[in-house]
Amino acid sequence: MNAHAVWGHPLLLAQVLRPRRDGRSEVALRVDALGEPRRALALEQAIRALPGVQRVAILPAARRLRVVWDPHRLSLDALVERCAAMQCPAQPLPHDDVDDTRAAELHDALKRLLVAGMCMMQVMAYALVIYIGAVDFVDFTTRGLFRWLGLVTTIPLVVYSAQPFFAAAVRELRGRRLGIHLPVALAVALVFLASAYNTLRGSGEIYFDSVSMFVFLLLTSRYVELRARHHGNAQGDAAIDAAPLLAQRRRDDGALETVPALALRAGDRVHVAEGDAVPADGVLESASARVDEALLTGESQPVLRRCGDALVAGSVLLDGPVTLRVERSGEATAVARIGALAARARLARSLATDGDRDIARFVARVLLLTALTALAWLLVDPARAFDAALAVLVVACPCAFALTAPAAFTRALTVLARHGVLVTDNAALTRLARVDTALFDKTGTLGVPRLDLAAIEPLRGESREEVLALAAALARQSSHPLARALADAASQLGPARQAERVEAVAGAGLRGTLDGRELRLGRADFALGHVLAPERQRDALLLADADGAIAAFRLAERPRRDAQATLDALRTDGVTPCIASGDAPERVAALAGMLGIADWRARQSPDDKLARLRELHTQGHVVLAVGDGSNDAPILAGADVSAALAGGTGLAQAQADLLLIGDRLDGLARARAIASEVQHIVAQNRRWSLAYNLCAVPFAALGFVPPWLAGIGMSLSSLAVVLNALRAGRDGGKPRQELRA
Amino acid sequence: MNILLVLIPVTALVVAVGVALFFWAVNHQQFDDLDTPGILPLLDEPAPDATPAAAKDTTSKP
Repeated sequence: MNAHAVWGHPLLLAQVLRPRRDGRSEVALRVDALGEPRRALALEQAIRALPGVQRVAILPAARRLRVVWDPHRLSLDALVERCAAMQCPAQPLPHDDVDDTRAAELHDALKRLLVAGMCMMQVMAYALVIYIGAVDFVDFTTRGLFRWLGLVTTIPLVVYSAQPFFAAAVRELRGRRLGIHLPVALAVALVFLASAYNTLRGSGEIYFDSVSMFVFLLLTSRYVELRARHHGNAQGDAAIDAAPLLAQRRRDDGALETVPALALRAGDRVHVAEGDAVPADGVLESASARVDEALLTGESQPVLRRCGDALVAGSVLLDGPVTLRVERSGEATAVARIGALAARARLARSLATDGDRDIARFVARVLLLTALTALAWLLVDPARAFDAALAVLVVACPCAFALTAPAAFTRALTVLARHGVLVTDNAALTRLARVDTALFDKTGTLGVPRLDLAAIEPLRGESREEVLALAAALARQSSHPLARALADAASQLGPARQAERVEAVAGAGLRGTLDGRELRLGRADFALGHVLAPERQRDALLLADADGAIAAFRLAERPRRDAQATLDALRTDGVTPCIASGDAPERVAALAGMLGIADWRARQSPDDKLARLRELHTQGHVVLAVGDGSNDAPILAGADVSAALAGGTGLAQAQADLLLIGDRLDGLARARAIASEVQHIVAQNRRWSLAYNLCAVPFAALGFVPPWLAGIGMSLSSLAVVLNALRAGRDGGKPRQELRA
Repeated sequence: MNILLVLIPVTALVVAVGVALFFWAVNHQQFDDLDTPGILPLLDEPAPDATPAAAKDTTSKP
């Protein structure tokens, strides 16, 4: 019926639709056009006009559209078709990817904040009356009434709005950790209970105004932080959705077609190139393959699988290519596992805030200080012990201290995601700020290979097109950038032939069989076996069979468009770039000369690259490794910080701390600049909150700071820290020298 | 000062109604997307009339 009819298949529907209790279904669609509000609104109205649609929600930051509708009145493919007709192509997402928890979390925080605000205003009004009444006209019994009103109005605030703090404090106690929620909960509970006690007995100070303001301001800074974090998560989701896992499905006529992994069905035969992720659970049909299941099982050693063995979705193929017969794709578990990488990126973004050892030490000191203050005052003047201890507890509460790192990191990840850099490991951002050497792979990372027809040199009198077609039959099945350039050049020649039993030898080339003839394509020494190649063919890519060389391909290489700018930015930032490439010295020298890199090495095997990395480490350098291919995986795993191009192989991506989306390098310079800025801001914030505490605590301990003033100071310092953290990456991460003072 | 005994419950009632309204709005996604609705008045053509299916629906956004 239409191009989207595939979405009518029940197995696929089971993966993307989420049934609701009322019989309707919900689906999340990835729509790129949502970035433009005008088109987003037009699309929303068009979908709402469709029959059976109950609700349409746009999440612009995540580029997602969520639709709740009646699947009996309108099929999913019709819905997708309608989006396509509006020039807004939509891609249904697996329903596991869609979570309601974020929206629910935000709603909850907003409600608690509002209740706290409303209660605070009421309590303030009653407190004002009491303050005026102390000097003026309100008589004594009315004052008692207002104290009771203050108590009653503070109850919902403490019980409902402050509940997350109590729950978190209980969690911290259960986990035997000292976190920031414990002093907060302690302060709120102590102030409230003491004031309630004083209200009941009708004498003594009450601090309902302080406690309500304290809770309100804390909830405000928490809400600001939460909103920033969700925005960052949404943008990260958008970046992940933008690169859906694709699979090469072999059609009945033997040709390959690219389909989303989600659209695979049992019985499909899938072609997986070396270094790519296995798109679905299935059975290996090729002779044997080594796979890396580290992402799934944590097992770092490659596993050997033979013909007939099961391959698990999400594992990465180390050699190949292989053919896979899909067995299961409907199960939600398989789909979830495919996204292991994406999930890792998501996991990294849900920041673990309470594991910080600094904070535990800080909290221990605050509690100790509070106890000491109380003890000292009990000896000197027991009547003031409670007030002074309370003031110390509130003033010294390390909220600002604890909020600063998560807030700054969240903000940094948001900005980076917007510029096409996905961070899969938070700690990498800290290390990135200290990097002083960048080790680049050449082919596919700094340079883009390109094949001109004129650069093909047939050696046995065949035409250029013929030899190119032969080479492409091998090259089409590999994901190496040189092979891709060959396949691209051949794709204009017409129908493609497929070689059989194609096998990739890392760092050397490809071999396979076409029409019963064994072909080798790759470095001269590999292609020709042990026969020594003539001098002028040494550096070319050779195609050979058992009788010797068939053709030489000389691939030109031009630097990536943004390579120069990125390297310049890194240099001004104090990072020395160098190249470690498996390619021939002449070509590495040419590209290094073009980009002005003095330190380069050619003919490096993965082991050589690793040795180079160790050498840099022993010299005391902190190294950033940038690569794209499977042969870069060892140095990506070994480097202090690693970055991979998202267009590269799955194995490279699996090892990388940073993923550069959209085939651009410039994200690297931004990431470096933002990492430095974050370090700067975190250090600044910590100094700030430490200075504030050092100034305020002595006064509080001596009893000069009433609890209400302590509450204001503490909350404002938290808010200031969060707002300061949101400064990170405000200018889009352009290197700023003056920041690194 | 007896008027206080009337006025204070009245303010409490106003606050309760305000909180209830706000809870309703949050639960119905009124605060989820604060960016796109701002563009709505700037659109060239008037929005097409909602279909009966959409008009019946009270949970959708404006």
